Amino acid sequence: MATAAPYRVQLRFRDGVERSIAVAANESVLDAALAQSAPVLFQCRSGACASCTAQLTAGRAAMRRAGATVLLRSEAEAGLRLLCQTEAQGDCSFALDYDSTASAGGPVRVKAFVDAVERVAADVVRLRLELADGDWFDFRAGQFVRVRVPGTDVARRYSIASAPAELPAIELLVRLLPGGVMSDWLEHRARPDDVVELEAAFGNFFLREGVRAPHVLIAGGTGLAPMMAMLDVIRARPGRKPPVVLSFGCATAAGLFHRDALDLRALWMPGLEVRMSCDEAAGEGIRTGNPVAAITPSDAADPDTIAYVCGPPGLVDAARRHLTGLGLAAANIHAEQFVATDAGSDAWA
Amino acid sequence: MNDATPIRRSGATRTVVSGARTNDARTQSQYQPYKDAAWGFVNHWYPALFSEELPEGHVEGIQICGKQIVLRRVEGRIFALKDQCVHRGVRLSAKPMCFNDKTITCWYHGFTYDLASGNLTTIVGNPDDPLIGTTGITTYPVHEVNGMIFVFVRDDDFPDEDVPPLSHDLPVRFPESSERFPHPLWPTPPSLLDDNAVCLGIHRTGESNWRIACENGFDNAHILVHKDNTIVQAMNWVLPLGIRPVTDDCITLIEDENGPKGLMQWLFTDRWEPILENKELDVKVEGMNGRFYRTSVVLPGVLLVENWPEEHIVQYEWYVPITDDTYEYWEVLVKVCPTEKDRKDYAYRFDRVFKPLALHGFNDCDLYAREAMHEFYADGTGWDEEQLVATDVSPITWRKLASRHNRGIAKPGRGVDGATKTSSIRLRRLSEGQKSGYLVDKIKD
Repeated sequence: MATAAPYRVQLRFRDGVERSIAVAANESVLDAALAQSAPVLFQCRSGACASCTAQLTAGRAAMRRAGATVLLRSEAEAGLRLLCQTEAQGDCSFALDYDSTASAGGPVRVKAFVDAVERVAADVVRLRLELADGDWFDFRAGQFVRVRVPGTDVARRYSIASAPAELPAIELLVRLLPGGVMSDWLEHRARPDDVVELEAAFGNFFLREGVRAPHVLIAGGTGLAPMMAMLDVIRARPGRKPPVVLSFGCATAAGLFHRDALDLRALWMPGLEVRMSCDEAAGEGIRTGNPVAAITPSDAADPDTIAYVCGPPGLVDAARRHLTGLGLAAANIHAEQFVATDAGSDAWA
Repeated sequence: MNDATPIRRSGATRTVVSGARTNDARTQSQYQPYKDAAWGFVNHWYPALFSEELPEGHVEGIQICGKQIVLRRVEGRIFALKDQCVHRGVRLSAKPMCFNDKTITCWYHGFTYDLASGNLTTIVGNPDDPLIGTTGITTYPVHEVNGMIFVFVRDDDFPDEDVPPLSHDLPVRFPESSERFPHPLWPTPPSLLDDNAVCLGIHRTGESNWRIACENGFDNAHILVHKDNTIVQAMNWVLPLGIRPVTDDCITLIEDENGPKGLMQWLFTDRWEPILENKELDVKVEGMNGRFYRTSVVLPGVLLVENWPEEHIVQYEWYVPITDDTYEYWEVLVKVCPTEKDRKDYAYRFDRVFKPLALHGFNDCDLYAREAMHEFYADGTGWDEEQLVATDVSPITWRKLASRHNRGIAKPGRGVDGATKTSSIRLRRLSEGQKSGYLVDKIKD
């Protein structure tokens, strides 16, 4: 326990609930918050998952491993912090972009059966699972699960591509990586009726409730997964639906998967416009370029437009700059980026 | 980790669909939301009662899309609320209790609700309870017009400001649509929203899923069941054996931003071919009098038959879901009657001709045809197994349109009549020869 006089750190949740916690000089804000039962979201505790992202609103607080976490430089400059790596440098305040009830329940470990393993693109597999009888977890569209790679003690993180209403069915979109342990299992060993272990659900990247302003969704590659869940939730909501633009991009034409699924969503949702982009020329109806550039000023004409971005760090960074440039408030841009495997946080303990 | 507990499947079933039919797996997936709508589409306007069924001061209970609804008329105004007390789930309408003009009280423990807001305002024998003022029951917007009461059946969290006008859930009107949908073979059809429109009709409970009933109404191949109907033979009508689509534009989608969502069929134009003879079977239609009509359907399942059963009259039908295996079948004829004499003459003809020969004689065939289909679809597999043909372009187009424009898929009813098929009450009613239906079973003192 630190002996220095602790700083007062104010945590303000989206629903207006505030918590004041005491934080020692060399203590992470997350550790202090958890010790004092403040309802903050977290998962990896090593700066790799961004679940504990918060916005510094007053005072000074710095990150221990600046540059060695998933937080982009542009995000840090905009005041974002990963609480697991953040130390207060005086009294300070943070805004959490989720309700104080978001962490209620907390993650649970469950088992699920493999229903289907389908190759939907050269390097993408759709994994359909069904929770075992008696197992259950709650999640919000956009959140991710940890999946223990069968036969190993490591886990991988995947956004859920299906809506909560589909439970006990779960769908994941997995990008195959050469030599990856999950890829190896999916390509060579996974069979229907196999049992896998999951831990769910995590992350503060999820669809916000009650937003009537236009939605802009930008997805790169398997970053499409959380967007599919969000689309299905928006479609089932009572009341008038917000206009939605989904901009989906891949490097190669062969990589553009899920076009049938996107066609169906466009058919079912009169307010949805799907734009597909590809780095190379890919034929009619597909833009050449990246999915960020496909978002135009008219998409952001409403000052309350809300954006969700999921993909590799470069895409998230570009999207933040582009959307801010179009006039979106930084607080209305929600992002989840793919993270490199990290031995510490990816262990299945 | 303790692996002693067996890991079990939760027991869901899946079907695989062949690709060899008109409605192959890909087509089916396009209307998956429709296949999911066994309990109906919510957040739409539905007919609830004829005005005369809810006189001043009266309380009535109905069920639509698995939602129990109580209606009360006070000083002419109608209030509709969820008919399920927050306390223990009792139906307020089963034994109406109203102490004043502003509230309705649950007859069991006295929970009292404000008619306009649904808020719990007091409890008769427990007026200081902390629950009072913190909870309530959902209210449903009401629109009464020309003898019919419509209710906007909504999810509990559907916002007031998003409730569309009734006209968005009714067929297109004429003459405003006459240019878009010309009707050279018959005069301008009336609408139930027209001034001086008179709505005369009946409603009764049918035992099938509402979608089967709805699709029957505008399915152009089903006209065969009406071949021998009394009204057809008595009037010497030429009613085809079937009507076949011959062009791609045989159906026009109605998808205006601020208006109803549905489809119009260009019947008795060169886009559809009436079949009057089948040589192989030696069947021929022998009538003398051309019987031109046209059907359109809009969400949430409203049929309009123009020029039917005679000029200047239209027939509306609704197939209001009660449960997943019962629906309230509404058959309403509308005619504009500016004078009292017009009204009397129309009512006379309705009672003597249209009601017995059209709404019953003719439409009774539809009712039993739907019931004959029901078992095939009852467990859901019929929607996968059916083998559709060219004339089914109408239901397939409707299913896709409904999948796109519905305002919500009703969740399976819970804690309501018909949600549990073998409930003891349902079985007792059966044994007493009384079928479960649309109206509440009121308690007799």
